[in-house]
Amino acid sequence: MDAGKKEKVLLILSGLIIGSGVLTVSLAQGSIDPIVCGIVAGLWSVFFLVHVFLRFASHDGDPILLPLASVLTGMGLTVLLRLSPDLFFLQALWLVVGLTGFVVTVFLFQKPGRFADYKYILGGVGLVLLLSAILFGVEIGGHRSWLILGPVRFQPSEFAKLFIILFLAAYLSERREVLAFATRRYGPLLLPRLRFIAPLMAVWALTMLMLVVQRDLGSALLYFGITVIMTYMASGRFTYIAFGAFLFLFGSVLCYYLYSHVQVRVDIWLDPWKDPTGRAYQIVQSLFALGSGGILGSGLTYGFPKTIPEVHTDFIFAAIGEELGFIGSAAVMIIYLLFVYRAFRIALKAEQPFSALVAAGLAVFLALQVFLIVGGVTKFFPLTGITLPFISYGGSSLVANFVLLGMLYAISEVKPKP
Amino acid sequence: MMKNNLLGNIRRTACVLMGFLVILIAYISYVQVIEQDFLKGHPLNRRNIEAASSIQRGQILDRNGDKLATNLPNKDEKGRFKREYPLGRMTTHIVGYDSLQYGKSGIESSYNGYLSGMSNLSRSFGPFTRLWQENAGNDVVLTIDSSLQATAYQALGNHRGAVVVIDPRTGAILSMVSKPSFDPAELASQWQSISSAADAPLLNRATQGLYPPGSIIKVMVAEAALSKRITSPNSSFDCSGTLPIGRDYTLSEDKQTAHGHLSLKEALAVSCNITFGRLSLELGRNNMEDVFEKYGFQKPLTTDLQESACQLPKFNSLSDGDLAQLGIGQTSLLVTPLRMAVLAEVFANHGVIMKPFLVQRVVTPDGTVIEQNQPQQWLSPANPGLANLVAEMMVEAVANGTGGAAQIRGIKVAGKTGTAENPHGASHAWFIGFAPADNPQIAVAVIIENGGSGGGVAAPVARKIFTQALH
Repeated sequence: MDAGKKEKVLLILSGLIIGSGVLTVSLAQGSIDPIVCGIVAGLWSVFFLVHVFLRFASHDGDPILLPLASVLTGMGLTVLLRLSPDLFFLQALWLVVGLTGFVVTVFLFQKPGRFADYKYILGGVGLVLLLSAILFGVEIGGHRSWLILGPVRFQPSEFAKLFIILFLAAYLSERREVLAFATRRYGPLLLPRLRFIAPLMAVWALTMLMLVVQRDLGSALLYFGITVIMTYMASGRFTYIAFGAFLFLFGSVLCYYLYSHVQVRVDIWLDPWKDPTGRAYQIVQSLFALGSGGILGSGLTYGFPKTIPEVHTDFIFAAIGEELGFIGSAAVMIIYLLFVYRAFRIALKAEQPFSALVAAGLAVFLALQVFLIVGGVTKFFPLTGITLPFISYGGSSLVANFVLLGMLYAISEVKPKP
Repeated sequence: MMKNNLLGNIRRTACVLMGFLVILIAYISYVQVIEQDFLKGHPLNRRNIEAASSIQRGQILDRNGDKLATNLPNKDEKGRFKREYPLGRMTTHIVGYDSLQYGKSGIESSYNGYLSGMSNLSRSFGPFTRLWQENAGNDVVLTIDSSLQATAYQALGNHRGAVVVIDPRTGAILSMVSKPSFDPAELASQWQSISSAADAPLLNRATQGLYPPGSIIKVMVAEAALSKRITSPNSSFDCSGTLPIGRDYTLSEDKQTAHGHLSLKEALAVSCNITFGRLSLELGRNNMEDVFEKYGFQKPLTTDLQESACQLPKFNSLSDGDLAQLGIGQTSLLVTPLRMAVLAEVFANHGVIMKPFLVQRVVTPDGTVIEQNQPQQWLSPANPGLANLVAEMMVEAVANGTGGAAQIRGIKVAGKTGTAENPHGASHAWFIGFAPADNPQIAVAVIIENGGSGGGVAAPVARKIFTQALH
């Protein structure tokens, strides 16, 4: 089967899955809503349009990416329809914007190498986006990560990740050799020279700022993690990870003792049953949802996920776990696993170190984000407020992730020259 | 380049991160599969209440199909069914209440699984249960007779106290009243006054009230003394009004009346303290302990009801004075009215106790019976001959003794009165008995808190119940 046909069959499959999900929800709520069905049919037509258009323009990127994203987005839409139909309509709108962003990115990224030349501009933009959220962020729904520009509200940190990853990939692919070998011995420690790790230290400072000013443990961990891991991938020196982990641990311990909100997060994680109706309310409600779902789940619309605050964004995974059971939550996790696997595979097949690092960076970011938020709502890890890629409600998050998808797609279709 | 293989680094990173995700999946399976029972059943998990309120809760019916708890035709603003209790405060302590804020009690609590349909096996098949699931819970049919319940409720008047009526042939509880009561429909609006009232209307006195039994225990002591051959039906006793025990204690009759020369039957009829104090002393600590054991005072009766355990004295450390007091139902001994109805059952049913039960059957909305309670023999503490002998003595107590106020024209009534001293004021008035004496159909226990004399206050209440039940 050629790639185009594969993509088509998989999109039909995802359309069937989501179609039955949306039908189930609307039937259980009384009657089939023709508007909702029309919207879902329309959205999948757009998916097909994108598919046909790209194949027609003889793009032959990884055929698994778009179907995987469509299943995740579709599951998100189904759960949103069940939780609050208003958000379903808005998210459908954002999906169209996201798919447009996807196509545009595929075209822009035809020659990924071009972007390496503008690395400082890209890095600057990423930095400005992050700093703007840190300095001018407004709190909406418990997160102080929103920027309001007139009628437009968005979360700059969702877009900043794309710029930061491009910058790091360009910066690191240029300095791979220097980072790998320029080390100096400090007693028993073999550390890189300070001037080479200055950008690392800068990111560390930035993430600490996020932690302290924005109280955003999730974003801080994500951005710090991506920097350290990309530096490791470029240099092959485990020292960077060890050193980075040490820095972050040091900073975190300091924050634990200095800031009560960090202490609260950690204490809740260690023993949520000490204060289940107070500070640990959200995580305890999330655990109740997951446990009540059991293996098979309650069935769509038969659970009570609305007892969890912020269920449509950060905690949407718990809603899936309750109504679709372990079968549903495991399916979501396996789709992410496939996603991450394909992204790394694209990195390994890329023709230049720069595009390999970009793809690997995107894969790492995705994996870290899924690990942190799913680990957070299941109490595997202290809770951090970040979105579940492609599924959570939110325009910024959805559009940014479709741009990310476009970058992966474009890199995957660049074939090595014969 | 050996040390810096970009693809190798990416591959290693991929393996580690995907490994993390796999570990996370394993952990999620732990939460959703292994821990699901703990999380599902956790008292803070509101899902069970929410799920129950969205389906039509089963009805609670009496033995004739009269509704004791049902649902109002209209749901409330949150889409929940609202409960209605047609007999109101008359059946409060049997049926109980079902409140989101204040929990559940009575049958609403002990049969919640059936009423809400949540204990149905089909619930454990997740979404597949939606294919065949009933949207209504099961009906619970009680052994209660609502007209007898109303009679008992009215007969108690404005007294604090309790009535228990049992069919001695089956153990079926026909009526159970506790006063003061409250209207379960007003629970939410009146919670403050109901829960903090000094006379404790929330307490089901019939099963949870603990009282000294006083003289009604004498029927058991008489049977024990006969079976241990301490005395015989033909023996006679002397009562001089007081009985000095040891150096510093004297057991005495009420107002120190001397009953003079009398038989066991006469002693029971006039409720002679001296005779029964003496019998208890002669039986001794071990025998007395055996008797209480044999009559099942330490065995739980039924899971249909929340029952308080009876309090027995520490037999081997009783002083002689306390041992004599035990024979007339005083000392630290505390019993529930339900237990005393069961005691009456022994003599009404030839020495055999049928296990008391309140729920006849559980029926699904389509009429299938999913649980049925059959009459069940529980204990046989007395042999039939002795039980019938004591029953005759109880007939004498009503015909020519303290229980005269329970007499009905044309029906032979057996009974025993009690006037139990207690530290909370005037004596509690007791009556236990059964009728018709030669073919008993109902057995009753009546207590009126601080009501005074059993013969004067409790026996007339029993009389009204006998009349209604046997009309």
